[in-house]
Amino acid sequence: MNERNRLLNKIMAEDFAVYEAVLYLDTHPGDADALGYYTEHRDNVVQLREEYSRKFGPLTIYDVEGNGSWSWINEPFPWEREGNC
Amino acid sequence: MWIYDKKLQYPVKIKNPNATYAKIIISQLGGPDGELAASMRYLHQRYSMPYGQVVGTLTDIGTEELAHLEIIAAILYQLTKGLSIDEIKRSGYDTTFVDHTLGLYPASAAGVPFDMKYVGIKGDPIADLNEDLAAEQKARVTYDNILRLVDDPDVRDPIKYLRQREIVHYQRFGDALRIVQDNLDSRNFYAFNPSIDN
Repeated sequence: MNERNRLLNKIMAEDFAVYEAVLYLDTHPGDADALGYYTEHRDNVVQLREEYSRKFGPLTIYDVEGNGSWSWINEPFPWEREGNC
Repeated sequence: MWIYDKKLQYPVKIKNPNATYAKIIISQLGGPDGELAASMRYLHQRYSMPYGQVVGTLTDIGTEELAHLEIIAAILYQLTKGLSIDEIKRSGYDTTFVDHTLGLYPASAAGVPFDMKYVGIKGDPIADLNEDLAAEQKARVTYDNILRLVDDPDVRDPIKYLRQREIVHYQRFGDALRIVQDNLDSRNFYAFNPSIDN
């Protein structure tokens, strides 16, 4: 697995951990342990996404670098085999 | 994937509920040229689109249409909030209320439930982009008609914004069609379908 795929794989795992915590917290908003789990993985996501977009291109419309051309439309797209890790 | 942004794309602040208006504006939720049809059309056409610029355009306009679906829903929510049963009966909204109470069920103004039959996905870039150009114009006409039928400036303001976005989308789909044609055989645009032929 190359570095891009390794990083993407980590982001997908951390994103999933956050989302799972979000669903649980929606119905258990006072659970301090779950809130701690959420913040830990959320912080990981923020840091990993920053590293990914700096090295390999944008994940959201807010990640595009202001120099060069509009990399948002660069292939591969997420539904392509090459777009997956 | 998508992440929800907890804000509207354009503000909706309606002081006076009015179910008569809700009864017609609901067509932009689930009618033939409504925002649900628009988002489903673009977000599913993109998989067979051959060029990054056009895939990006379909992704981003399709995503914006989901935000417009939410603006229409916010308008309907505020137009129907706090109405008395008497007001619901007088406005004619009782025919929706009986099945959905104040839930927002995507349907046309005439009560026909949302249907993917409103949406064309042909897998051919020229056919699909012409569908999209027509769809934007048809949505623009529906907003023009809503503006003919609605006097309240609180309702007209977000409707005018949505109408303007249809025109911008029409321009962008025109750009997209030009990009597709620039990649085709200039002597015969129909010589091959870049989605399936090499």
